[in-house]
Amino acid sequence: MSRREYLKNQKQKGRRLIGVFPAHYPREILWAFNSLPAEIWDPPLDIEGANAHLQPYICSVVKLGLELILQGKGDMLDGFLFPHTCDSIQNMASIVYDYLGVGKPCYFFYHPKAPYRPSSRRYYLEQLKSLVSRLERDLGPMDENELRRRVEQGHHLASILREIYDARRRGGLSASNADFYRMIRQGEYLHPDDFIPLLEDFLKASRGGDGKGPGVILSGVLPNPPEILNLLDELGVRVVDDDLLCCGRRIPMHTTMAQDPFEALVDSYFAMPPCTTKDSPLKGRVDYLLEKIAASKAKGVIFYLVKFCEPEWFDVPCMAEAVKEAGAAVLTVDVDLNQGLSGQLTTRIEAFVEMIGRQQEA
Amino acid sequence: MSLVKRARYHFMKDIGAPAVMRLSGAGRKKGPGRPKPGFGPGLNCAVRLKEIMTRHYFLSRYAEGAKPVAWVTSGAPVEILRPFGFYTIYPENHGALCGAQRLGPELCAEAEAHGYHQDLCSYARIDLGHFLSGKTPVGRLPRPDLLFASNNICQTVVYWYRVLAHQLKIPLLLFDTPYNFEDITENDVAYMVRQLEEMIPVLEEVSGRRFDSRKFQEMTGISRDSSFAWGEVLATMKTRPAPMTIFDAFIHLAPIVSLRGLPVALEYYHILLRELRERIEQGIGAIENERKRLMWDNIAIWYKVRDFSNLFAERGMNFVTATYTNAWAETISLMDADRPFESMARTYSLVVLNNSLDHRLQLMERLIKEYHVDGLVIHSAKSCKPYSVGQYDIKRLLMDRLGIPSVIVDADITDFRAYSEEQTRTRLEAFFETLEG
Ligand code: SF4
Ligand code: SF4
Repeated sequence: MSRREYLKNQKQKGRRLIGVFPAHYPREILWAFNSLPAEIWDPPLDIEGANAHLQPYICSVVKLGLELILQGKGDMLDGFLFPHTCDSIQNMASIVYDYLGVGKPCYFFYHPKAPYRPSSRRYYLEQLKSLVSRLERDLGPMDENELRRRVEQGHHLASILREIYDARRRGGLSASNADFYRMIRQGEYLHPDDFIPLLEDFLKASRGGDGKGPGVILSGVLPNPPEILNLLDELGVRVVDDDLLCCGRRIPMHTTMAQDPFEALVDSYFAMPPCTTKDSPLKGRVDYLLEKIAASKAKGVIFYLVKFCEPEWFDVPCMAEAVKEAGAAVLTVDVDLNQGLSGQLTTRIEAFVEMIGRQQEA
Repeated sequence: MSLVKRARYHFMKDIGAPAVMRLSGAGRKKGPGRPKPGFGPGLNCAVRLKEIMTRHYFLSRYAEGAKPVAWVTSGAPVEILRPFGFYTIYPENHGALCGAQRLGPELCAEAEAHGYHQDLCSYARIDLGHFLSGKTPVGRLPRPDLLFASNNICQTVVYWYRVLAHQLKIPLLLFDTPYNFEDITENDVAYMVRQLEEMIPVLEEVSGRRFDSRKFQEMTGISRDSSFAWGEVLATMKTRPAPMTIFDAFIHLAPIVSLRGLPVALEYYHILLRELRERIEQGIGAIENERKRLMWDNIAIWYKVRDFSNLFAERGMNFVTATYTNAWAETISLMDADRPFESMARTYSLVVLNNSLDHRLQLMERLIKEYHVDGLVIHSAKSCKPYSVGQYDIKRLLMDRLGIPSVIVDADITDFRAYSEEQTRTRLEAFFETLEG
């Protein structure tokens, strides 16, 4: 079933659909309102109308998101949620809300930025409650037991994802790189009632890879263009782990079920891996990546970056240097989404793979 | 802090700096000289401003090891650092200075050679370029003991300061100001107040001084008065002819950015204000024949300030207001020295760039009316996403609502590799025709 068909189907079942922009937000709260977050990262559209609102130096995640609204592809949605991710998303949210007049509720979600202090935790908790009251105004009261159930479900989902990631890191997953991300990214729109069984089946069906071929780690925002994954598959390279904003960086490293579901959500937020969009200290990001390299024995890191993405690009020089010092190779790619692979990029990836392949043999 | 360095700093402050200031002002004591064609007489205060800023950068070389040094973002609530005696450096001001001296691409290239992408904010690239190469037109910037940032102007400054914190292994204090998509909430204010309280032990540790709340209130008062005075300086441009131009204001902005909270900034703006009021009384305009009054949106194009100033003055067009210069005066009425933490939270988080675009549009509409603006020049700055994203809509809406003609200039604040003279000229010629038509 396509994403669109699925969403239509969910709507028919009585679920409200909320279009959510990247990246960090408490999806359990939306689930508790019997709503479904449909995340908007890289819709397959040609950018036309968005150019009348956004300068050429704005990233394609923001452009495509706005394009989706302008082309009326979000008509099925009952509202939008804008997390405070970066300057570009922040202003695009304001364009949508203040100037376009989409005629649907728009919710904003500001999460505290690192370095974290006691005030950050308290503020995040208040932000969660404030989001609930804003949603209640439009969607009716939220049942706190339902929230507790959804928080537990969120934990369960995170634990399966961690298991899948662990299996892949140990070389025990047979799925191709392309299949892996196709599966993981379905979490951007599937309801957890549907996504969890799908993931469990996926794990069962793909256990037992041979762990052959050099391993690489992906760091960046999202694995698009997906052709890079296909090429890595063709070249026999295994993606063994990732530090991608839309994937691994949103899986809490551990979860604890506090008495209060809100407190549990706070715990989860602060247990997420370090991230640029939360201003995590660079040292934390470097250490996190180095740990991943050590644990997976990866031969290299591909910084898979969206053009004009300031949050990511600022960290790359220090991260790349640390990776090289740790003896792994670095490839940096700067891409527009949905643009496929250029001949030049293919050549660069092939050269990189050849290099890590030689290291692997040695 | 070392005793020797402290003694050297004080010697330079009392003896060395005054000598340098005398030298920097030498030969200019008689005033700014003959006016350029198309302009009224220049501002006498420019000499004093140069002395103050020369002294600031000169003394900064001796501050390292003598005083705690902080690098601070332009929108951070610096008042909280003042009672601890920090010597404050504003890399954005340094970036503007490098930009005005056309050094942007050279310093940016130093950062780019270390992997910093050419698409990143050029203030950041200049600063990182300076940090990595030591190059600067001001001699030397002191190494910081602390980094102090606020994301009320952009998230970019935090990405940038995180890199510095990592490289220098020093603390980064962030004043996190939740973006006002809608109205500011009591939770937001309480969060910001708590952050300020949490900063105090860190500041005590880095500076080796105890927090003195009386001094803090006093310096908050000075800061508020300076910003008020800055606001009054800008308000003089409501008069026809305006006694100064926004291009002057771009330059005279330096103390309110870099020396906020210090008596020197307050004294300076009182002197400037006196001079501007005298000019108003005598009917002296910044340009000879002020026929059209314009508004500027976004940060200056630093390497083009002089050229633009001439280009517009030749046509009897004067820039009388800007969202940019207004930012250091806009919210100052919220500052209250008796409730410093809470009022500081509001003052700093309600600035233009931390508010929705609707707020910005309303502000611009107000400025257009109050300053009798005939047209708008919008600088779409490649460096600055928070300032630039939304400008296309603002342009359209201001035309629809107020019939204000405008032009977009695609450029960058300091990196002139992102600027096309030809394209700009063509657009400006069309804009001039519309204005005259
Ligand atoms: S790709 Fe980067 S700049 Fe674009 S929306 Fe995501 S975080 Fe922001
Ligand atoms: S120019 Fe813009 S992006 Fe750069 S530091 Fe200033 S406000 Fe931030």
